[in-house]
Amino acid sequence: MPKRSEFYPVGFAFVICAVASLLLASVSQGLKPMQELNMGLDLKKNILRSVKLTPPVPPHASPREVTQIYTDAIQLAVIDDQGNIVPGKKPDDIKGRQGLYPLFIYQKGGIVQGYCFPIEGKGLWSMLYGYMSIEPDGKTVRGITFYKEGETPGLGGEIEALWFQKNFEGKKIWDDVRQQTVPLAVAKGKVQDRMPKEKWPYYVDGISGATLTGKGVSALLESWIRTYEPFFMKLHRN
Amino acid sequence: MAIFGKKEQQIVMDGIWNKNPIAYLVMGICSALAVTVKVETALLMAIGTSFVLSFACMVISFLRNYIPSNVRIIIQLTVIASLVIIVDQVMKAYAYEISKQMSVFVGLIITNTLVMGRTEGYAMNNPPWPSFLDGLGNAIGYSGMILTVAAMREIFGSGTFLGHQVIPQAFYQAGYINNSMLLLAPGAFFLLAAIVCLQRSISGYKEEQQ
Repeated sequence: MPKRSEFYPVGFAFVICAVASLLLASVSQGLKPMQELNMGLDLKKNILRSVKLTPPVPPHASPREVTQIYTDAIQLAVIDDQGNIVPGKKPDDIKGRQGLYPLFIYQKGGIVQGYCFPIEGKGLWSMLYGYMSIEPDGKTVRGITFYKEGETPGLGGEIEALWFQKNFEGKKIWDDVRQQTVPLAVAKGKVQDRMPKEKWPYYVDGISGATLTGKGVSALLESWIRTYEPFFMKLHRN
Repeated sequence: MAIFGKKEQQIVMDGIWNKNPIAYLVMGICSALAVTVKVETALLMAIGTSFVLSFACMVISFLRNYIPSNVRIIIQLTVIASLVIIVDQVMKAYAYEISKQMSVFVGLIITNTLVMGRTEGYAMNNPPWPSFLDGLGNAIGYSGMILTVAAMREIFGSGTFLGHQVIPQAFYQAGYINNSMLLLAPGAFFLLAAIVCLQRSISGYKEEQQ
C-alpha cells in the first residue's frame, strides 16, 4: 500500500460526506411531492377521526376516496379572536396572520355535528400536533387525535394510542354551575382514583410513566381551549 | 470465478443458517425484541435491514482499500446512516402509515450491531460481491429469526397474524385467553432464547475452545 499523506483521512472523509449529502438531498427532493401528498392526506384522516365521522373512513380507502369523504363532510371556516366566523376565508388563507384561527365544521345532512380545531404544543421532548373536536353545544369534547409527536415510544408516545384519545370523549370544557370555561387537564394516574367525583368530567386519565408529556398536553389544551373560548361562548347562547 | 458457485453459496448459507447472526453471533438482538410485537412491523424492519445491510457491505467493500483505518468506523457509519435515511424517505413516500410507526425503529438500523459487525468484520477485508452475499445471507438469517419471533408473538399474544384474526372466536368462548406477556419485552426474551437454543441444537453449534 502506498504511503499516504496525513491529510488523506481528512480529504477522504470530506469526499464521502459530500457524496452522501448530495445523494440524500436529491432523494429527499425527489420524494417530496409524494411525501407532502401523504402528509396532507393524513391531516384529513385525522380531522375526520377527531370529529368521529359516522360511518368512519374505511381502513383501506384510496387517497381519492378519503379526499371525497373529507370534502363532503367538512366545511372549512376561519374565526377571529372574538369568536366570529370570518366570511369567505379558508384555513389556508391564514398563514402568518394574527388573530385568525382555522375551524373545521363537520356537517351531516345539513346539520352541524361538531367543530374541530388544530392543537399543538410542547410535550417532554417534542412538539405535539393534533386535532380536537367539540360538540355543537360548545361544552363537550367530541374527540381528539394526536398525529405527530416524538415522545418516548410506549410512554409519552401513548398519546397516539386509542385508549388515551378515547378517554377524552364526553369530557367537559365548561362548568355549568360556575358558568366558566374549565380547561380540560390530564390527571396523574386514573381520574377515578385521584380526583373527587365532581372533578371527573374535567380530567382525563394520565399515562403512567409519562407525567411530563401529560403536563404538556394539559398546557396545550388550556391554551387552545382559551383561544377558541369566545367561539364556544357564542355556541352556548344559540 | 463463478458468479454463484460453491463458495458463494456457502457464504449465503453461513449467514442464513450455520452462522446465523442472531443465533450464532447474537447480533441485532435489540431490534429483534423491539419490532416483533406484530408481523407487519417485523416484516418492514426485515426488508429495511436487508436493503441496508447488503448495500452497506457492498459499498464498504468497494471502498475498503481507500478507507483510512483511523477513520474507518466513522466512514462505515456515514455509509450506513445514508442508506438508512434513504429507506426512511422512501417509506415516508410510499408507506406513510407504517413509516409513522416505524420511524423510531428505522433509526435503530443505524445502530444495529449486525450492520456494523458485518461491515467491519467481513466487508472491510473481502471483495464487493462476496461482501454483498454475506450481507444478504445475514439479512435473510436475521429476517427469518425476527419473523419467527414476531409470528409467534402476534399469534399467541394477540390471536392475529398480519392483523387478521387466526384464533377462532370459539376458542375464546371456551376460555382461551391471549398470552399478553408475549406482547411485553420479557415474553420476547424468553421466546428468543428458546428459538436460539433450538437453532443451535439443530445446527450443531459448539462453544469455541479457549
